[in-house]
Amino acid sequence: MDEKKPKIDFNSPAVQQEMDQIVHGTFVKQGTMVAFPTGFPGATIPILADESHITALDTSLQGFVYGGTSGKRSHVFVGMFHGVTGMVFDMKAVEAATHCPAVCCGKANFLACVNGPSGGGRILASKLQPWPYDLIQEWGFQRPHFEDLGECAAGEPIVHAVADVSRDHAVGVTTHHLFSVDMAAPKIQVVAEVSGSGRLAVGSKGCILGPNGAGRLWRFDQKTRNLERQAFKLPAGRWEKSPGVWARVGQSGLLYTADDDGQLFSFDEQRGFSASLGKTMLAPVTCMAATFDGRVFGSCGSGIAKMFCYDPARREVTNIGVAVSLFERRRYGYVFGDAVTGRDGEIIFGEDDDGGHLWLYFPRIQPASA
Amino acid sequence: MSREIDRREFFRNSGASLLTVGAALYPRDSESLPTAESPANPETPGDYKVKWYEFTEHKISDTCWSLSVGPDGRIYAAACAEGVPGGVVKVVRYNEAKDGLDYLFAVDKMVDDPGTSGRATQCKIHYSFVPSMHDGILYMATHLSGPPIDQPAYSPWLSWHDEKRCFRGSALLAFDTRTDDVKWWETMIPKEGCRCLLHDEERGLLYAISYPRDHFIIFDLKTRKHRDVGRLGSINSQTLFLDKKHRGWTTNDYGHLVRYDPEKDRLEMSPFVLPHNAEFQTGWHSVFYDVAPSPDRECVYAVTWIANSYLMRIWPNEGEWPRVEDLGPATQKRDPTVSVDTFVDHCGGLTFAGDGQLYFVASRWRDPVYNPMGPEHKEREGVVWRLNPATLEKEEVTCLVHPRELAQYVSRGAVDHNGDLFFGHVGARPSGIFKVEMPASRKKENAHLPIRMWG
Repeated sequence: MDEKKPKIDFNSPAVQQEMDQIVHGTFVKQGTMVAFPTGFPGATIPILADESHITALDTSLQGFVYGGTSGKRSHVFVGMFHGVTGMVFDMKAVEAATHCPAVCCGKANFLACVNGPSGGGRILASKLQPWPYDLIQEWGFQRPHFEDLGECAAGEPIVHAVADVSRDHAVGVTTHHLFSVDMAAPKIQVVAEVSGSGRLAVGSKGCILGPNGAGRLWRFDQKTRNLERQAFKLPAGRWEKSPGVWARVGQSGLLYTADDDGQLFSFDEQRGFSASLGKTMLAPVTCMAATFDGRVFGSCGSGIAKMFCYDPARREVTNIGVAVSLFERRRYGYVFGDAVTGRDGEIIFGEDDDGGHLWLYFPRIQPASA
Repeated sequence: MSREIDRREFFRNSGASLLTVGAALYPRDSESLPTAESPANPETPGDYKVKWYEFTEHKISDTCWSLSVGPDGRIYAAACAEGVPGGVVKVVRYNEAKDGLDYLFAVDKMVDDPGTSGRATQCKIHYSFVPSMHDGILYMATHLSGPPIDQPAYSPWLSWHDEKRCFRGSALLAFDTRTDDVKWWETMIPKEGCRCLLHDEERGLLYAISYPRDHFIIFDLKTRKHRDVGRLGSINSQTLFLDKKHRGWTTNDYGHLVRYDPEKDRLEMSPFVLPHNAEFQTGWHSVFYDVAPSPDRECVYAVTWIANSYLMRIWPNEGEWPRVEDLGPATQKRDPTVSVDTFVDHCGGLTFAGDGQLYFVASRWRDPVYNPMGPEHKEREGVVWRLNPATLEKEEVTCLVHPRELAQYVSRGAVDHNGDLFFGHVGARPSGIFKVEMPASRKKENAHLPIRMWG
């Protein structure tokens, strides 16, 4: 090497542009990401780093973000980013729990599903948080009471759960059972034996859908309590681990999912699955959510994830780059465990990493012609 | 007024600079380089002679991030080449008999990862020489940033998933200082570089911090397996240190101490923020730059990697969380409305010498308002300071003088078995090291003992 003269002209504008592209073009290329710590900046410390892997999120009707963490110990928290708020309230550290697969918001209450190293998955219930007073001026928070609803099915970890469209019930699965919970008077009811092998979703007609682990989706109608065990066949793809991820367009109920290779499909309860819509740059897709105009944003790839956008208008998948936050916290984002749509269509990603943050992603505003 | 330089420009101007502004600044291959001795320091005339040793046999070297004393009491340095596509690191050793440098090996060849691979290269060893006293091994782990041979730059974030470009991983080499052989090597951290390394010799463990993901890594020398304990943050601390309880210490993004306690197998964060300049800083980025153990191993002296680095003394064996003494800023006052260049405002090279005093190098630069130095001074200077641990009095002992370049940036310092000081330099191409010959009264045989166990 010593004798070789570099052939790259570092003074050439093209090379300088290439260097800038390599360094800066790697990170969020459209829109803005803001990493918010799991605490009240200036007033509390965040959740301990190895207890703060955010693996479950849901939003309440008032626009608060409820979530749960995994790690050495699970925590249940609520984030508030509208009005005069701007904080995450660590409501509970759950002893003997190391994994939170789901959080479900009802109209007045919410549920947190937690698993531990032993025993079955449990559900904790508490009231939704009211709006606080002005968090620039003065405030007061008390950790709320949580009711422990106990194990859903003895010895079985909870795989996932979702609130139904009405938010009157939550429906979930353990590894072998389907259960539902009345949100108003929380109590677990086992519905049937099913194979819980992946995340659930709420379909366009309001039914709950889940993979049966054998290439099909079951469908459960909470109103009629009817369970169709082989309601839909998964489209051609590789589905060994999934569907592990869903995104739902709020207005239409259209769902999106991805197979193990990052192939995207849409799903409608009436029309079923679409053909492949495209493929993410990397796999697996770990989480995604849809904004109001139908665009889907998600995270893909292991180790250092890249963010992607699927634009249904253009039917194309775009690489948005590696997550980085320059506001509130200066931080790289590498692993994301869940995503939800926020009040104004922003996407909220839960960082599944030590020192996990809530990442608010504000998509680029589309030109009028788009 | 000193000129602002960013990292890219820094490398272009310090080595890389010379790619474009003229090879005439370099000596021809056959020419030997002049060495420079500092003018006598007016306070200690002639006591501390400074000599520059250039990496003449690795002309594309642009940095010397690692300089440590080996288990044999000799000085080892890394001739790194990170600014040149395809550049690789060579390991050198100071030869006291010939008063020059021996070039031991090019790392890429030893670890079968040539600079021509098309991947990010084995371009440097970054604060990652650690001794093993019982068998005379010097462990060293490589770091990334050098671009592939046909790319002008490398981003580990961009290329993480790119099999063609991604850095293969930090290579750990076991160099036997008794036989001058590399006994074995292993990829210690796949796809990532090693920012800094520590050896817990009693337990046979190496602790490392990975880059770019900033994870705390444990490598078991017996099984040669690594374990990822978890993420620290986004900004690498540049040092790890060990206390008497075998706890590994470092810092996080917000200037908190972080320790790995093997009894708990967990990373814990101190509730307190390390000393920083509250006028314009919050503690963010106050990660360790360099940490030197006191000879009695009861405390360490540290500086941070942020403008106006603060010097501090930390007592890790006391209390639930250590007592931290703020010893004040290591560098000069400045205009707080503009950030001074990281490569201008710097402190490093902390080491204890045979006289029981702490030595380190802090930068000093001309500033028309805050430090209007006279023409007898260079634009930027690397000042060697001596700190008396008993009184905490600080005294300037000499300035590092480079034959052509400015010498304000020192990475690491060490004392060899004869009691002389050595400092790694960043900011010239070829890069090199400084020797500061200690006054006879301050020398001691085996001054390097007890040896520092981290890079």
